[in-house]
Amino acid sequence: MDPIREAELLMTRRQLFGRSALGIGTAALSRLFALGGLGSLLEMASASGDKHGLPGFPNFAPKAKRVIFLFMSGGPSQLDLWDYKPKLNDLFNKDLPDNIRRGQRITTMTSGQTRFPIAPSHYSFKKYDNQDEGVWVSELLPHTASVVNELCVIRSMWTEQINHDPATTYLQTGSPLPGRPSMGAWLSYGLGSMNEDLPTYVVLESKVSSGKPNQPVYPRLWGTGFLPSQYQGVSLRSSGDPVLYLKDPNGMNRKTRREMLDDVAALNHNELSEFGDPEINARIAQYELAYRLQASVPDLMDLSKETPETMELYGKDSNEAGTFAANCLLARRMVQRGVRFVQIFHRGWDLHSNLTGDLPSQTRDVDQACAALIKDLKRTGMLEDTLVVWGGEFGRTVYCQGPLTRDNYGRDHHPRAFTVWMAGGGVKPGIAYGNTDDFGYNIVDKSGNIIDPSVESFTPGAVHIHDLNATILNQLGIDHTKLTYHYQGRDFRLTDVHGHVVKDLIS
Amino acid sequence: MKAAIPLFSLSLAIFGFASLSARTPAVDSHAISFGRDIQPILSQHCYKCHGPDAAKAAAGLRLDSFAGATSQLGNGAGIVPGKPDASLIIQKVSNPNPNLRMPPPDSGVQALTAEQIDKLRTWISAGARYERHWSFVAPVMPAIPKVSNPAWAKNLVDRFVLAKLDEEGLKPEPEADKETLAMRASQTLTGLPPTTAELKAFEQDQRPGAYERYVDRLLASPAYGEHEARYWLDAVRYGDTHGLQLDNERAIYPYRDWVIGAFNEDLPFDKFVKWQVAGDLLPHPDTEQLIATGYVRMNLTSNEGGAIPEEFLARNTFDRVDTTSTALLGLTIGCAKCHDHKFDPIKQADYYGLYAYFDSTKDDPLDGNLTLPPPYIRASTKGQEAQMAAMDAQLNGWRNDVDPAVASTWLSQNHQSPPSSRDWQESPIYSSKTFDEAFDKAEPGEPGQPAATWKPFKFEPGKDAANLIGKDNSSIYVRGTIRVEKDRTIHLSVSSDDAVRLWLNGKLIHSHKINRGLSDAPDDVKADFRAGDNELIAKVINGAGPDGLNIRLVDANETRIDKALAAYKKAPTDAGTILELRSTYLEVGPNSANSSAYRRLLKKRTDFEAAIPMTLIAKEMDTPRPTFILKRGLYDQKGDAVERHIPAVLGKLPNGAPNNRLGLADWLTDPANPLVARVFVNRLWQQHFGTGIVKTVEDLGTQGEWPLNQPLLDYLAVSFVKNGWSVKKLNRLIVTSAAFRQGSQISSAKLAKDPENRFISRGPRFRLDAEVIRDKALAAGGLLVQRIGGHGFKPYQPDGLWEGSSDPASGTHIYVQDHGKEIYRRSLYMFWKRTSPPPVMVTFDAPLRDTCIVRRSVTNTPLQALALLNEPGLLEASRTMAARVIDSAKTEPLRLRSAYEIAMGHEPNSNETAILLKSLNRYENEYRSDETAAKKLLNVGEAPQSKTIDPAEQAAWMVVCSTIMNTNEFLTQH
Repeated sequence: MDPIREAELLMTRRQLFGRSALGIGTAALSRLFALGGLGSLLEMASASGDKHGLPGFPNFAPKAKRVIFLFMSGGPSQLDLWDYKPKLNDLFNKDLPDNIRRGQRITTMTSGQTRFPIAPSHYSFKKYDNQDEGVWVSELLPHTASVVNELCVIRSMWTEQINHDPATTYLQTGSPLPGRPSMGAWLSYGLGSMNEDLPTYVVLESKVSSGKPNQPVYPRLWGTGFLPSQYQGVSLRSSGDPVLYLKDPNGMNRKTRREMLDDVAALNHNELSEFGDPEINARIAQYELAYRLQASVPDLMDLSKETPETMELYGKDSNEAGTFAANCLLARRMVQRGVRFVQIFHRGWDLHSNLTGDLPSQTRDVDQACAALIKDLKRTGMLEDTLVVWGGEFGRTVYCQGPLTRDNYGRDHHPRAFTVWMAGGGVKPGIAYGNTDDFGYNIVDKSGNIIDPSVESFTPGAVHIHDLNATILNQLGIDHTKLTYHYQGRDFRLTDVHGHVVKDLIS
Repeated sequence: MKAAIPLFSLSLAIFGFASLSARTPAVDSHAISFGRDIQPILSQHCYKCHGPDAAKAAAGLRLDSFAGATSQLGNGAGIVPGKPDASLIIQKVSNPNPNLRMPPPDSGVQALTAEQIDKLRTWISAGARYERHWSFVAPVMPAIPKVSNPAWAKNLVDRFVLAKLDEEGLKPEPEADKETLAMRASQTLTGLPPTTAELKAFEQDQRPGAYERYVDRLLASPAYGEHEARYWLDAVRYGDTHGLQLDNERAIYPYRDWVIGAFNEDLPFDKFVKWQVAGDLLPHPDTEQLIATGYVRMNLTSNEGGAIPEEFLARNTFDRVDTTSTALLGLTIGCAKCHDHKFDPIKQADYYGLYAYFDSTKDDPLDGNLTLPPPYIRASTKGQEAQMAAMDAQLNGWRNDVDPAVASTWLSQNHQSPPSSRDWQESPIYSSKTFDEAFDKAEPGEPGQPAATWKPFKFEPGKDAANLIGKDNSSIYVRGTIRVEKDRTIHLSVSSDDAVRLWLNGKLIHSHKINRGLSDAPDDVKADFRAGDNELIAKVINGAGPDGLNIRLVDANETRIDKALAAYKKAPTDAGTILELRSTYLEVGPNSANSSAYRRLLKKRTDFEAAIPMTLIAKEMDTPRPTFILKRGLYDQKGDAVERHIPAVLGKLPNGAPNNRLGLADWLTDPANPLVARVFVNRLWQQHFGTGIVKTVEDLGTQGEWPLNQPLLDYLAVSFVKNGWSVKKLNRLIVTSAAFRQGSQISSAKLAKDPENRFISRGPRFRLDAEVIRDKALAAGGLLVQRIGGHGFKPYQPDGLWEGSSDPASGTHIYVQDHGKEIYRRSLYMFWKRTSPPPVMVTFDAPLRDTCIVRRSVTNTPLQALALLNEPGLLEASRTMAARVIDSAKTEPLRLRSAYEIAMGHEPNSNETAILLKSLNRYENEYRSDETAAKKLLNVGEAPQSKTIDPAEQAAWMVVCSTIMNTNEFLTQH
């Protein structure tokens, strides 16, 4: 490129930066300014968003470079998986005591019930050794139980939201109302891309073998809200084009495509020389990236080069595209290639009825693959700086919804206590954090006293979803109070005006 | 958070420093403007603790008013006018000890720069004059500025623009050529390229004023209203679905069509706003005014299982208040939901004062997952209403010919009493593995199967029987005896949860495999009963969750006769009663010439009306709900009661205005309102130039950008109101200015001095919006179908997008593409599923329409490149464009010229010609050697294939046309 033009463009950026006090998007411009010459301007364009993050980010040395978030949509039952409550066995069909429920609100699905009968878990639990006092795990999760030495199990998560859409939106964006950026979008915006030819934030949706994927999981959940839209998650699909419109049309070979793109570039250069608009340079760069994506994405999706041992590790589901197991394997391939944030959704956990009919199928879908992912990351040396998070938007009630028998029952939504686990990425391995009362209803402190946690302040032992998000950002080297975006007269952030890094969870 | 160090705890260090800093301010006091220079410093660095939020005023100090800042605090005052060194604020912000300096290091707020401190000193020296924030003071017509070159100005816009350019030492660019202007004006006003005929007319018009006449023709075209509506639809977050959870369809597109019509008819903007906010409260509102209130109903809604109505009432109302404040007031008052606003003088009570205007509408906070959650109306036009009135008049003629006495006698004699039922019984519950099996498998109790062990069952036709089964994937049979006097046909109305099958006298008469609830739409089952006893057996099949059955033995005609006769007996002289009796007689009475004609016309009228779509509207409750402050914005944390009111800083309701939404609308559209006109003209400027005069079009409050050219903004706002709020006139004013007509080339000098074109030192240049790009491609391909309004259409879409993201119970779970002309309509009519909007639109930054968006992001991504290269609809357009181009001329250079004229509105230059013709030949050779590939390439889209054009030739041209559509120029307004 003409050096005079290069200088002109550089000058533009300085000028832009100089004017930023007048309210031009300061962060974006200082980012422009932080870059070198025109080469960097071209380089800045990456497969999603800017290659470079915001100046000053990460704020400190990160423990984790990337995150794999396994989102169990619908609200998995902590009482049947992680939160062992043996005393409930003697309380079958007894009413939930008022001093436990304490008049708290419940959904309109069960608020009409005349009774709140206790449903003990149908499943047996076993205590597994970890690096602390050991942790109880349900018989439904035998594979996950085999990696508890790596897990940081948080049994005292809580949220205020009691219904799916608000609770899911809340966990994903820090607000129960739509319109805010998702966590992945914040990360793309703040930290930029780590690779040349794949998106920074990728979303995978998984098949549900029970055939009841009864919660919607829609693009808003990986959207950018008010952040520029290049930071949104890219959904990789298991059928059709993995990325929308990736494939060239039938009847067009790669040579013709290349020639055509060369023509587009030549015509754009022609326009550039006539009009001098620097944005044209960016357009040229994006077309080159698109061309690269057409090769890098199919290569990523091609599992044929994985060894039989690896396929076996993830289980036989991993041979079928779109299963949770195949997605976990893809997630490992993606983080190897520099994707920063992978989010895998698995639906069907909303078991208001027939819980014992459906829960085993849910756990069969995810159990082996979760453990395989941990093991696989561990053996490739990536667990150390890859944070894995498993959990849903809330938990489930100890009392039964609908007909109750020893063998079957249903559970309603329960936001006051639920379980999430993390692994790798500098979180404390092999611990269990937080406790609930004998009913798994309220979070309690070490002496068993009920904690009434508040979003306003942090109470040790109780982890709000803002605290979880603050801690995830912390592991990525981000001070959650500093990753902000000025919009509508206010600095917004993922954790709203709340959130505390939970020091007890990190090494 | 740690407590901030109180301002009055002065230390020795401060005194030491204060004497050091006692020097002459370096900033010229004349150049200081409170709003532009001082307020941003105070609000960014101080208001967090010393701002309008009274509850947070640390150390009792508030810096948001003169009184607060100068009040004595015990050890001095925050600000002592004329004496910067005696002002605590100066001492504090310049304290050399970072631990004692304001803002405190742990506050998360940055320290002031030396330049900012100098500005504060200068301002305090000059008397520390506080001024109201510029946008809270109503605009007045500014003085027309003197400029360097008055001859350049084509209208007053240019005087204001040129004054700014003079100030910055910039010169405008020469006017763009006619071809560029033709494309630019057409794209900015109609969102479409000019038609060939329009282009020709403009080119051939050599008289002065040709451009103005061209603009007037564009403003008169229906495409103008469509394009202008699109921006408004972003702001009001228009969508065709509820937007949450199931995200079912909602019927509200007549509102969208009304907006288009309003812009096309140039409905004055004050009326446009008033009808939307409060059309239902106008005296005797007409249909149009009610359709407009769809604005109030546009919030996202849900009926998620378990949702708590009070919670959603608050959510819905927040959504309405936030949209109104952003879209109309350009203020972001959402912060005051939880506490007094930290930056703008809006109190929490003010927020709930506005909230109170919107929380007393009649719609249920939960939408029932219905397409038409009430209230709604039939969105008839005036013409349709007149046609129906004419038919009614004719029908009334026949009605008046009926003698009520004759009618009542005949009806009484021919009336049958309703059927009776008895002996209801139920079978055992039969469990299955799957829903399919439960539905299909014949169990004991079903006709043809062994007898079941029947048990008596309390069942009453017309009443819901819930929880018959209580198990998933299970079924039960219910049977009863129904007696009629003589053979007759009865329409049974059957509700079930979930599926149902029915047998009458051993014969299967109905089978409906469905997953639904008891309150969903019932099945209408026609059943032929024989005189005497009949056996009815119902099988209910439950998939999951609750279950139930309801069978209504209705006979609409008999019920109607019953009612009409009873009413007539009671009030034989009542006009309504007589009318109903006569109508009943004509409809179900004896056949006659009159009754046949009556029934024919009645059917025609019913069908005519049924074809008119319904639309959601707002209605006010008879008694308003009491409104309370919601502490921290939580619906179940009620604080003090609040009356409806306008935030004090923004004025008050006009005299005589009612204190309801109508009064609010009166206030919004009062010429004295400081914001509404400015907010709209600023957005219109953004539409034409890419950036608003105030860049933060969503926020003209204290945190928004200071207006770069306030006289220009105020001139536009004042003349907008003076011109009767005419949006067309405002558009014309801007688009015919010399400023808008400048060339858009960017010289290196201008790139340095005016990189973002904020001073308007050149013509507009920015990437076109998603809708314009697609519409332009369709127009180039000759595919565009311009039909205004109607139900949203569903174009090509990759498989699985809806299916993968929706709850299987959602009514928008499965995407069914439309075909034929429908799919070539303008993008604004695409069916907008708010949880999964059309992918090409979203890729090019269209908002999801779940919140109010008045400024789209404009990004440049590889996913956009992929869509433009490979999306079938766009490829199809390049195919049909290729056919157009080939048909247009015989030689390749002439064809290329035609391709450029179609797509760009001008001829290609020699470079472009050389590049593309060379490639064209290569492509043609290649496709000639592989004709199968050519045919494959052409096999995209549903538009008919050309039968006459050689496939290799068309394929080669298709690649060239696609190349043109992928150029930056095609995608850019310039």
